[in-house]
Amino acid sequence: MEPEKDEEAPKIGVYVCRCGGNISDVVDVERVAKTIAEMEGVAISKVHTFMCSDPGQSMIVEDIKKESLNRVVVASCSPFLHELTFRNAVQRGGLNPYLYDHVNIREQGSWAHKSDPEGATAKAIRLIAAGVEKVKHAEPLERIRLSNHQRALVLGGGAAGMKAALELARRGIPAVIIDKNAELGGHIKEWGKLFPTDEDGQTLAARLRSEVEAEKDIEVIAPAKVTKISGFVGNYDVAFERLGEGGKPGEEAKLTVGAIIVATGFEPYRPAEGEFGYRKTPRVMTMPEFIAWAGSQPNGRLTLDGREVRRVGFLHCVGSRQIEGVHKPQPDGRVNTYCSRVCCSTVLNQAVQVRKRFPSVSVLDFHQDIRSYGRGHEDYYIEASNRGVAFFRYHGDEPPEVATDAEGLVRLRMKDYLTWGEEIEASMDVLVLAVGMTPSPIGDLIDMLKLATGHDRFLQEVHPKLRPVESSVNGVFLAGTAQAPMTLEEALCSAGAAAAKAAALLGSEYVEVDPFVARVDEAKCTGCERCVEECAYSGAIVMVEKETEGGGKVKKAEVNAGLCAGCGACVAVCPTRAIDLRGWSLKEFDSMVDGLVSAAERLAAK
Amino acid sequence: MSTEITAGEETERGEAVERDRYDAVVIGAGISGIQSALDLGDQGYSVLLVEREPSIGGRMISLSKVFPTLDCASCITTPKMSAVARHPKVTILVNTEVERVADKDGEKEIELLRKPTYVDNRACIGCRLCEYACPVEVPDRFEQGLALTRAIAVPFTNAIPQKAVLDAEHCIFCGACARACPTDAIRYEQEPRRQTIRAGIVVAATGFKLNVGINKPQYQPKNPRNVISPLQMERLLAPHGPYGRVLRPSDGKIPESVAYVLCAGSRDKSIGVPYCSRVCCMYSIKQAMLLSGALPIADITIYYMDIRAFGKGFEEFYQNAKAMGIQFVRGKVARVNDGPNGDLILRVEMTEEDGRVEERQHDLVVLAYGIIPELESPEQVGLRAGSDGFLARPDSTRPAFAGIEGVFTAGCAAGPKDIVDSIIEAGAAASAGSAYLSQCASKTTKS
Ligand SMILES: Cc1cc2nc3c(=O)[nH]c(=O)nc-3n(C[C@H](O)[C@H](O)[C@H](O)COP(=O)(O)OP(=O)(O)OC[C@H]3O[C@@H](n4cnc5c(N)ncnc54)[C@H](O)[C@@H]3O)c2cc1C
Ligand SMILES: Cc1cc2nc3c(=O)[nH]c(=O)nc-3n(C[C@H](O)[C@H](O)[C@H](O)COP(=O)(O)OP(=O)(O)OC[C@H]3O[C@@H](n4cnc5c(N)ncnc54)[C@H](O)[C@@H]3O)c2cc1C
Ligand code: SF4
Ligand code: SF4
Repeated sequence: MEPEKDEEAPKIGVYVCRCGGNISDVVDVERVAKTIAEMEGVAISKVHTFMCSDPGQSMIVEDIKKESLNRVVVASCSPFLHELTFRNAVQRGGLNPYLYDHVNIREQGSWAHKSDPEGATAKAIRLIAAGVEKVKHAEPLERIRLSNHQRALVLGGGAAGMKAALELARRGIPAVIIDKNAELGGHIKEWGKLFPTDEDGQTLAARLRSEVEAEKDIEVIAPAKVTKISGFVGNYDVAFERLGEGGKPGEEAKLTVGAIIVATGFEPYRPAEGEFGYRKTPRVMTMPEFIAWAGSQPNGRLTLDGREVRRVGFLHCVGSRQIEGVHKPQPDGRVNTYCSRVCCSTVLNQAVQVRKRFPSVSVLDFHQDIRSYGRGHEDYYIEASNRGVAFFRYHGDEPPEVATDAEGLVRLRMKDYLTWGEEIEASMDVLVLAVGMTPSPIGDLIDMLKLATGHDRFLQEVHPKLRPVESSVNGVFLAGTAQAPMTLEEALCSAGAAAAKAAALLGSEYVEVDPFVARVDEAKCTGCERCVEECAYSGAIVMVEKETEGGGKVKKAEVNAGLCAGCGACVAVCPTRAIDLRGWSLKEFDSMVDGLVSAAERLAAK
Repeated sequence: MSTEITAGEETERGEAVERDRYDAVVIGAGISGIQSALDLGDQGYSVLLVEREPSIGGRMISLSKVFPTLDCASCITTPKMSAVARHPKVTILVNTEVERVADKDGEKEIELLRKPTYVDNRACIGCRLCEYACPVEVPDRFEQGLALTRAIAVPFTNAIPQKAVLDAEHCIFCGACARACPTDAIRYEQEPRRQTIRAGIVVAATGFKLNVGINKPQYQPKNPRNVISPLQMERLLAPHGPYGRVLRPSDGKIPESVAYVLCAGSRDKSIGVPYCSRVCCMYSIKQAMLLSGALPIADITIYYMDIRAFGKGFEEFYQNAKAMGIQFVRGKVARVNDGPNGDLILRVEMTEEDGRVEERQHDLVVLAYGIIPELESPEQVGLRAGSDGFLARPDSTRPAFAGIEGVFTAGCAAGPKDIVDSIIEAGAAASAGSAYLSQCASKTTKS
């Protein structure tokens, strides 16, 4: 396609990244750059080892200035990683950052076609040719500015939620905590002495709670339930219901915030009836049940059902590290493959406490691995060993079998790999199931906020290293164990990290978002409303009445830039092609197809 | 003797620091320090990021791919390095060591040692002509000693800044670099200089090192060349590494049988590291996976006590490795002995089978050394250490707080941990630090 007359002729800079070998070990990048250099409109076509490095970026900036480039294409890794990096570089070079196209030749090239260098090279050429054609039609765009409500909503007032709210408030950013329970603090209240400091969980929760109460910029709404969330970054409208006695719905109210931190925490895994003898006998209990029960007993002797307890066993990994085909799936059909991170150290902590408080009780520990990884955790392992805790090791694909014997005691059978795979049978008065963590049941919030979850059902971050506390929804952050199993220390750190991101967002009076939203050509719009029906983002495209020149009224589609996700569903259904996406116009798509075809021809001719 | 630099002075180093007070000084520009600086800068605070090496990036920039997602380490680090280098609120000083952190009038006072690089940074354009001209070969620290570089060199391909640094210990002062330099940037006469900076807060992100020098004679064969550190293996596996592929150091042979000895420098009271180093299980599994890609026919065995795959996605990663055919042998490696042709013989107690002691031959052995603090005596620089030697964290509800008013800590400086956890702690330190700064500001405006 020829550029339109009033457009400046394209002078495109194309940069092909080696990615230190990740790309160039498979794709012949030199050949790619040479082939692309022959395309019309391409002024320069270069190769660099790491385009994203400072020298790589500086090269773009300098070339734009020296060669007066007016468009740039970088062919490297996924745009998810570095599109923004290069847009910023293009902007530093003095060009509008949207006169840029990003081509992925790593995830879609070298990594996908490792064993086919020739094919990967040809594919890279075709993809870049498409990018070059697309960028010829790119228009300068401006980021969209939205007003910003400079306060945050924190969902969940456990340790993580309180921490996030405190740090925001101390930065002068008001925060509202909504918790479903009347008393803030979450689960740490229930565990008694916590590893790795032996401090009491109640005390720590109370300390955080009193800090929250003292902070004038924090409002606590609890118990309460969020009923509706609408809006977008900077402008979330939240409807909630205060809960009365026994969770009965009470008064409804609304608030508007600029950002939301989700800190709804976890629930301990609930074993199914009969899982390792659970609910078949009161002598098999979960770790939370054991902590509550043992905590209520005086030091010295331990009795259950009037009988002295002589032996307590702890079984690790209940509800965690499950194996498909070995363990019964959860109600949703999946097994919990993940490790719950805190249960090993919890067992060791409890084992030490049992030995200290009830010296006549012996302790058995049945594990796969002892994962006392954290600072101070290994001390509990060493102490448990010193205090005579007996350790046994099973393999994940041979879970122990649990039954009760004639006397009502619990019998556990397994192959012990600390004694060379010997079959052992142990009987005990109490077997404690070290249950793992599962996410809190927040399906309603996930739907309202359109959050992503992982295979483990916990909330998913955008990228574990690049954006570890951000959800895929702009302005929604993750804190604490809603995201993954964590210790208290880790949950507090993640809350701090989320607060830092939220503070950066809420620090200014407006927020800027990408301009990739739908735009309606009113002249072509017939008001048929097909787009409104198709749109999945309520309110993103609506019909408004407009006056015609003759004084009559017509309906035309109008886009709300804050709500539009830029998904393009409306573009596809519009019968008159009246809708287009900024940055992804139909014309740009057409030209990409041209690029793919012409490159294929060029390759075939060679 | 060193002379004091004052703020705003144009130094012969070309790295003048514009001002003598910043809201925050971040010590150490590994991934933790970089992330803290970014998070503080994004909130509008002025930051001085101080790194003693010639480039920012810390350990992470030298890794190959990173667990549990197997993204390439450079691809994650370089953009963060680049973002911090260009951040309008962040000033970076490399080749600068923090010597002391003290209190002064309710603020922090930080003493810096600006080490000479013998190159004028204003003039150096990073062209590397000096490096090509230098006749003296020295072990390349970035490549963990597996390759050679010159006595004057730009630290590595994606280093920031791209400036040459002269290694005075090895330089023979022949003048070749000065003659080759097109911009006359070489300054043999540079001296160390000191500078004092004031700041509202300090974030200590001084990171870790491996206890490679530990005294464990049972793991020290007479010919140790094919016993390597995991950081060396990271370089061998890096796509742009020293040999471009995995070869064993003694004779360049393609290894056929690689062994990992886990907990080699950890979980052992006798060497002063009773704790778990937290990342070695996972990076060993990762390296094993990368090795089985690079050397499809090689046998890879991991000797372990417990596999600590506890983080998000870790257990699944471990199970994948098992499914790929990597051998996991639970057993205590009692000795690493010399074998024929540079090979090594491991004496292993096979605790999972029948407890027999086996001798197993491998042609390359990686010892998972323990993670110890880079900062050897925190007290000497005015910081506080915990009982394990890492920076103290005395308050369980304020984990970023380092036990001294206005001082916060993140990453491996406060105990071994992986990149994700380091980055999260960096955010936590920035958050706690900015909350502290804004409380101080509101106090002063009120009074
Ligand atoms: C048995 C056991 C023992 C443990 N022992 C230790 C230990 O010794 N040391 C240690 O460091 N860690 C320990 N942990 C881990 C520790 O409990 C967690 O790290 C910590 O509780 C995480 O805090 P959180 O705020 O993320 O989540 P939570 O404590 O789960 O708090 C979440 C909060 O969100 C609220 N909430 C949930 N859903 C909603 C909703 N829909 N709307 C509004 N509010 C909602 C809840 O009411 C709660 O207040 C243990 C865990 C277990 C299972
Ligand atoms: C072999 C190996 C493989 C690994 N692989 C992975 C992996 O695959 N995935 C993963 O998540 N993690 C991995 N890790 C862990 C990862 O390396 C660390 O989590 C991360 O590098 C920690 O970053 P940091 O910034 O805290 O410390 P560092 O990277 O050590 O940075 C600290 C910085 O501070 C500087 N400094 C120290 N003292 C001073 C001072 N006085 N003045 C000025 N500067 C100072 C140092 O020079 C250094 O640059 C691996 C670790 C090893 C050993
Ligand atoms: S922390 Fe320990 S008990 Fe918990 S799931 Fe992981 S390995 Fe099993
Ligand atoms: S992480 Fe694994 S190898 Fe490293 S010290 Fe801990 S248990 Fe040993």
